[in-house]
Amino acid sequence: MFFASHTGRVAIALSWSALALLGACRTDAPRAAGAHDDFGDAIASAPTPHRIVSLNPTTTELLYAIGAGDRLVGRTTWDLYPPQVRDVPDLGPGLRPNVEAVIATRPDLVILYASDDNRDAARRLRAAGIRTVAYRVDRIVDFARVTQALGALTGDTVAARVTVDTVQRTLARVRAATATLQHPAAFWILWENPLLAVGGGSFLNELLTAAGARNVYDSLPGPSPAVSFEDLVRRDPDVVLASPESRRHMLADPRWQALRAVRDGRVLVFDTTIVNGPSARVGASAVSLARLLHPGSI
Amino acid sequence: MIAFHAVSVRYPRRGVPALDAVSLAAPRGALTAVVGPNGSGKSTLVRALVGRVPLASGRITVDDRSVDDAGRRALATRVAVVVQREEPAFPLRVHEYVALGRYPHLGLFRAPSRADRDAVMGALMRTGVVHLVDRSITELSRGEWQRVRLARAVAQGGDAIVLDEPTTFLDVGHEMGVFELMSRLAKEGRAVLLVSHQLNLVARFADHIVLLHRGEVAASGSPADVMQGAVLERVYEWPLVVTRDPAVGAPALVPLRAPSRD
Amino acid sequence: MRLSRWALIVVVLLVAAVVGVAYGTLRLTPLEVLHGALGMGSATQVVVVRQLRLPRVLLAALVGAGLGASGAALQGATRNGLAEPYLLGVSGGAAVGAVIAVALHAPAAVVPLAGLVGALAAVALSLVVARASGGQGDARVVLMAGVVVGAFANAAIMVALAGVDANAVRGALWWMMGSAADATWGQVRALAVYVAIGVGALLALARAIDLLALGEDAAAGMGVDVARVTLAVYVAGALLAAGTVAAAGLVGFVGLLVPHLARMAGARTHRSIIGAAALGGAALTVLADLVARVAHPPAELPLGAVTAILGVPFFLSRLRRLT
Repeated sequence: MFFASHTGRVAIALSWSALALLGACRTDAPRAAGAHDDFGDAIASAPTPHRIVSLNPTTTELLYAIGAGDRLVGRTTWDLYPPQVRDVPDLGPGLRPNVEAVIATRPDLVILYASDDNRDAARRLRAAGIRTVAYRVDRIVDFARVTQALGALTGDTVAARVTVDTVQRTLARVRAATATLQHPAAFWILWENPLLAVGGGSFLNELLTAAGARNVYDSLPGPSPAVSFEDLVRRDPDVVLASPESRRHMLADPRWQALRAVRDGRVLVFDTTIVNGPSARVGASAVSLARLLHPGSI
Repeated sequence: MIAFHAVSVRYPRRGVPALDAVSLAAPRGALTAVVGPNGSGKSTLVRALVGRVPLASGRITVDDRSVDDAGRRALATRVAVVVQREEPAFPLRVHEYVALGRYPHLGLFRAPSRADRDAVMGALMRTGVVHLVDRSITELSRGEWQRVRLARAVAQGGDAIVLDEPTTFLDVGHEMGVFELMSRLAKEGRAVLLVSHQLNLVARFADHIVLLHRGEVAASGSPADVMQGAVLERVYEWPLVVTRDPAVGAPALVPLRAPSRD
Repeated sequence: MRLSRWALIVVVLLVAAVVGVAYGTLRLTPLEVLHGALGMGSATQVVVVRQLRLPRVLLAALVGAGLGASGAALQGATRNGLAEPYLLGVSGGAAVGAVIAVALHAPAAVVPLAGLVGALAAVALSLVVARASGGQGDARVVLMAGVVVGAFANAAIMVALAGVDANAVRGALWWMMGSAADATWGQVRALAVYVAIGVGALLALARAIDLLALGEDAAAGMGVDVARVTLAVYVAGALLAAGTVAAAGLVGFVGLLVPHLARMAGARTHRSIIGAAALGGAALTVLADLVARVAHPPAELPLGAVTAILGVPFFLSRLRRLT
């Protein structure tokens, strides 16, 4: 292990001193990256990484947001934002990744999605001597925590703090603007066959709440539960949120006329493909959504 | 009426032909029997007649018309065949099963008429199974099942009836009953072609016997002609003598004990 | 089969249909259901009854009828009580077609058509494979060719699913588990014609199936063209099953179970067995669809899962009867 050797320890001490000097605009001393990652594994200190592999669309976006995007040497097939990311090599899936392909890019930091499917990959990457951390960014509260953790890992603590603050201020602004308005009951369709709704466990649910609506499937714990059509009719939403394609199908299908919201013409278009997980864009998304639900409020 | 003209049948991937240039005729008004050891081709003869095995050469005719010319169903209206094995998979009632024998006349769609119902009833009476009429065929004893099958063939009507080992599983009384029935059917003018290994009964009832050995006709003629010790011993590969049974006045085959190995 | 038994089966089917329309996650009183069916009352009630429940119940009934009849005919022709409508690789081929359509993000209306095309291709491929092996006239060779095609299809499905995103996989699996949820009147009309033709063809062959059930040699002895009739039954049965798969995905056990029930009810000739199995299959599938809709709100259970749950105890009881 690098930091176990004498040379390593000297190098680390020198690096952190350098960072302390560079990070002068922050009053608190730069800390080592948060004590544990989302697998519960300890994160020890290490020099600033220069070759980062991020196997999760949200952490990839966050890395660009905090200014570390130019250090990316690997991403997953589903990481498509921001557009510059397409120049970064595609290493395959984020779940059960191709460990050999990752090792081949000679990274000094690998960020995995913290799902049990990836524990094996984390073990093997660490065995190959590569610093590996795992995070899940499923909810808005994760966004703040993980952005700061990434900032600490990459040495961009300032940019990370700025990103988090900006988003949180925007979200607070949106909440305040919609607080006094009437919150409609909303249904957000994710998939048509089977019928999948945004559930209580999804950050989209949090977005909806922040933007001033109440998800009819708030009580279901999963992020994207399958629901029956009649159950949806029973819950009688005031408004439906859908992708442009789904909206077309719904308006053309006589069965959707069973919903009062469809009959009243309250099917709003909000393309969820542009919002993968709660990244730095979540603030802007909340604003768009609030404008859609409550025109003129913000 | 039914005639085999130099019929050869070869099963795929077998060196020896199952039937090799076999010719025989089963005329109306007579009971013709085909006998021979296991594997001599007796059942193959019947399967060739119903078209289940292709002929390598030769042809089979019914009233001088090749069996391939007329349709299979038309053929079945004139020739009723009782094959060796038939499993009653579904619990039909006996009368329903015997009524299936009218299929060649009715086809897929025609409803049974009075004539069809009479044929079925008549067949049940002639084969002595009227008392079984409402029983399920899966509940019959082996002997009862054999006789019900015979009833089905009789119900089928036609001028010829071909039977492959019809008396397996039958006790003496029922076996005699079947042979008596076949003899009567022959005397009424039908062509009866019987495949059996019951040589002694065949010798008493048949008008004409064909002895098959390894796919070839080893002997053919009246019972007296065919029931000869030398040829039978060669064909059955077992020591035997042919005597004349005084009780019935017909030749009888008596197998001998194996010679002791000293 | 006695007239009273037929009447019973018809009554069961009608009751199942009525219950299927009257019940659902949305609680409607019987009067509201009636109004909805007649086009009166609130828009929600009318649409729910006329556009959701009625087509769904009819679709389930048609699917069940097709599967019941197909299973009955195939069990008769193969003399095997374990034969079922998805012979000749129908289920595998349909699944491959549907999975490919879902993987390519085809519009929802295309997926069932792709399933149908896949099923028909599997049947054709089974026949071609059988002919290439020289055994097209032998029923067992055709069946084995179907097994081969089915195995190949399963492999193709796994390959196809390996490379697509999670939602597409979920969509494909959902389709494979069977559902009447997407029933539309257009589908019901098309399926009604299809099932009527298919069941009609099988009923026409019923007498020949009675003879085939006795054994191939015996049937030949009574004038049945064994090779041709067997093939006709297999193909008609498989095509009927393929149509149901296009409409509702893979719904197992109905085609396997219902012919046994028909025979237990006293149907003996195949005209009765096929007819009773069609009616019984319709009733069973309508009830299974109801259970799928209301058993586990807010989600819907897959129809194939519910029919399987019904099938297992039935076969266990038959096993006990054997020993």
